[in-house]
Amino acid sequence: MSARRPSAFFLGGRHLSEAASLALLVPFALLLVVVFLLPLGTLLHESLLVPAPTLEHYERVFAQPVYLRVMWRTLRIAFYVTLVALLLGYPLAYVMSRSGGLKLGLMAAAVLLPLWTSVLVRTYAWMVLLQRNGLVNEGLTGLGFVDAPIRLLYTEGAVVLAMSHVLLPFMVLPVFSALKGIPDDYPRAAQMLGASGWSTFREVIWPLSLPGVVSGCLMVFLLALGFFITPALIGGPQQMMIATLVSQQVREMLNWPFAGALVGVLLAFVLALTIAFNRFIRLERFVGTRS
Amino acid sequence: MNEEEGKMGVSRRAILAGAAVLAALAQPAFAQKGEVVIATTGGLMEKSLQEHFYKRFEAETGIRVRSVPIELPDQWARAVAGARSGNVPFDIVTATPPDLVQRKDLLAKLDCARIEPNALPNSCFEHGLMRTAGGMTLVWSSKAFPGAKAPKSWADFFDVKNFPGPRALPETGDREWWVPTMALIADGVPADKLFPLDIDRAYRKLDTIKPHVAAWWKSGDNIMQIMRGGDAVMTMSYSSRSVPLARSGDFDFTWNGAIRDVGNWAVLKNGPNTKNAMTFLEFFVKGASEHVPFSAKVNFDSNNREAAGMIPADERKFRPSWPDNWSKLVIADYEWIAANREKLRERWTTWITK
Repeated sequence: MSARRPSAFFLGGRHLSEAASLALLVPFALLLVVVFLLPLGTLLHESLLVPAPTLEHYERVFAQPVYLRVMWRTLRIAFYVTLVALLLGYPLAYVMSRSGGLKLGLMAAAVLLPLWTSVLVRTYAWMVLLQRNGLVNEGLTGLGFVDAPIRLLYTEGAVVLAMSHVLLPFMVLPVFSALKGIPDDYPRAAQMLGASGWSTFREVIWPLSLPGVVSGCLMVFLLALGFFITPALIGGPQQMMIATLVSQQVREMLNWPFAGALVGVLLAFVLALTIAFNRFIRLERFVGTRS
Repeated sequence: MNEEEGKMGVSRRAILAGAAVLAALAQPAFAQKGEVVIATTGGLMEKSLQEHFYKRFEAETGIRVRSVPIELPDQWARAVAGARSGNVPFDIVTATPPDLVQRKDLLAKLDCARIEPNALPNSCFEHGLMRTAGGMTLVWSSKAFPGAKAPKSWADFFDVKNFPGPRALPETGDREWWVPTMALIADGVPADKLFPLDIDRAYRKLDTIKPHVAAWWKSGDNIMQIMRGGDAVMTMSYSSRSVPLARSGDFDFTWNGAIRDVGNWAVLKNGPNTKNAMTFLEFFVKGASEHVPFSAKVNFDSNNREAAGMIPADERKFRPSWPDNWSKLVIADYEWIAANREKLRERWTTWITK
């Protein structure tokens, strides 16, 4: 399978010299340094070394229960969002990969159009739907499922739902391209050898789509961790996520060192998680291809 | 802290402010000819200041006013950077009372003797001059609590038996001391014994109301929306929002125990036109006839000794500076707040995310 995938340093079958490939990477590397590494470095620098080297800001993050609680909640919400996006996105991507023409076009548009709409607009749309006198509550009371409007907005469920919707395309697209890359011959061969539909999926399609699933999950999870607008508007203070806390420290308290410490701890969490995830998945793939 | 100053996010104003600063840097000639650079939070406040003060000031003194609309955190970030580099960006800035304490080192001393004769009593400080005043008031739905059933004080905010219905509280601005202070007033602490705040007692009191808090507002618009939509029947609110709500007839509010909420003018040390800035502050407190319509427009009372007396009788209940109301306002100990800000905020965040 690896032979089918073009390696990064091949272009149209021709080998690029090391220098040429490095030159192609320079613009992106520059952008990364200027707009990402530099500001992040400044913030982390402030958190550790200004005015004198200190760990006090990091100690505060761990000493006060509130910061770890918000961080844990952020991880939990991001996990739920990833799960919901996977459950909704995988079947959709599967159907898309098995369709063509107008049907595929319509489905692709349905996935992509929201991506081109502002997150703010999509979030407000959810507010209109979920508020006390909103469409969902009116529907439920109108149909007699509930007697009085129920509280939907400002709950963790609402935050997970709205964020899953906003982040769904980031799950569907990588999964779709992974599924699309599976030659039709493979499931056909499995079925000819007597595999049922379910075992074909379990033994052939799922393992082969796993790289797409992994990158989709990772993308959705990481984006969800840093989400700001949606939890701030859809959730109440009980759903406060770490990005809101960081922004409060920067914008209201003008406490950059402490904001830097919060960011540093989150970054360490995320790196550790990503590395662990990668290890686990590699193992999984190894097992998957053997059986 | 006026509500406009509590908003979050980088706005058009911040960009405009950047442009204005660039323009100011590009034209040093004006600075020598006599101008004064004033930073405010923009919007209605800036527009009304222009209309009632800046234009008259320019006409009377020949000093040009360069108005820079900017959010408070950005304003301070620039002021701090300017003090470091020696290139101070503004002459006059907008400062909350805690700012006057925390940013003392950046601010020039005012000559209150020249300002006080026209200003409200106790409104000129060493480093700041009260610009606009209001309060964090208790506002309620008069449909839920009509006539004699109306709540009278913060204690009633916590009394869900006699005043049933969902409550709202702020999750923006200076809530980390507004709300605990209010809780202590409700718990019976006399106004002059509030500070230093007994934080544990305040949060014990707040624990009793938390299950009844259905909405946490994030802006003034949000208050109106929550109250009009019926999501809450009682809330703490900027008086600049309580007044229009009360005028509409469906709501009412009280100055009783309202926490005084002040926006100040302050002058940056080593600014480009410090002398003109002082001239402007002396000018600002004059002209009662301009202060009355200005205050009506921004829903905050501005600083002039005679303006309060010119308010029509039926308007008085809406005006914080009317003596009967002014005396009911609770004044916080900003020195103590400034020294305990981080601790107060941490406790608030701990409580609210629980």
